[in-house]
Amino acid sequence: MSAVTNAHDHQEAHNGHELPYSAQLRNNRMALWLFCFSEIFMFGALLSARFVLWGNARPELSQVVGLITTTVLLLSSFFMNRAESAIAHDDRKTFLSGLLMTAFLGLLFFIGVVVLEWNIFGLKLELFGVEWFGHLKPTDGVLGGVFFAMTGLHAIHVFSGIVLILIVWNNGRRGHFSAEKHWGIEATAIYWHYVDIVWVFFYPALYLIGKVG
Amino acid sequence: MSDKKAAAYRLGIVTLVVLAVLTALEYWVSVGLNGSPVFLLIIALIKAGVIVQNFMHIARLWREESH
Repeated sequence: MSAVTNAHDHQEAHNGHELPYSAQLRNNRMALWLFCFSEIFMFGALLSARFVLWGNARPELSQVVGLITTTVLLLSSFFMNRAESAIAHDDRKTFLSGLLMTAFLGLLFFIGVVVLEWNIFGLKLELFGVEWFGHLKPTDGVLGGVFFAMTGLHAIHVFSGIVLILIVWNNGRRGHFSAEKHWGIEATAIYWHYVDIVWVFFYPALYLIGKVG
Repeated sequence: MSDKKAAAYRLGIVTLVVLAVLTALEYWVSVGLNGSPVFLLIIALIKAGVIVQNFMHIARLWREESH
């Protein structure tokens, strides 16, 4: 068998096994949405636990800190969307800066939860009439337990989202994506917005609903 | 800037404004009015819907849209 025939067969076999990009994209999207759907059960269970165990009570948390962290996360979603729109129109500069802004705001949110709300360094600061560091502990009964379970699981997702964004940014910087092929960015964006949606429900459940117990 | 790109960026800004207004509204309803949990959850549902539609582009799932 000649080298030309071998190469042809190899190409045929290759084509036979690999789906066209549009079909891959369709399958990838469906798989990611199913993954997001499956996570609803986990976060939904925590949200249910909050309403069952807390009822009409809630822990004493700083409303200002809650509002600021929520605003920061919503802003990060805006920049993620901007980055995705930018790469879809071959605007590399906006794409890369949008991703960096998203990662930075995500990090700010993460710090807001871990350093301010969890107060892992045991700090105290009252400024403009606001108590900036929380005093709730995981051992403070159901209030502490549920609060740390909800914010902890969410924070893990935020952290993994930041890692994904930085990987995508690094690949983008090296020219890995184009306006025609950027599933990696779309997937990261969907995941990041999903994490944002979870907080959209957690924020009122933790900070706004009920009376301080 | 092409029309499509400008429209995509504009949609992002409009979505952000809508989310900011709804967040301010839920804060005001809770802190200022001691509003009902049902009302707050309805606002959260609307915010989630806006994100799913405009940021996550759920319609791409059945529109056969490629990059």
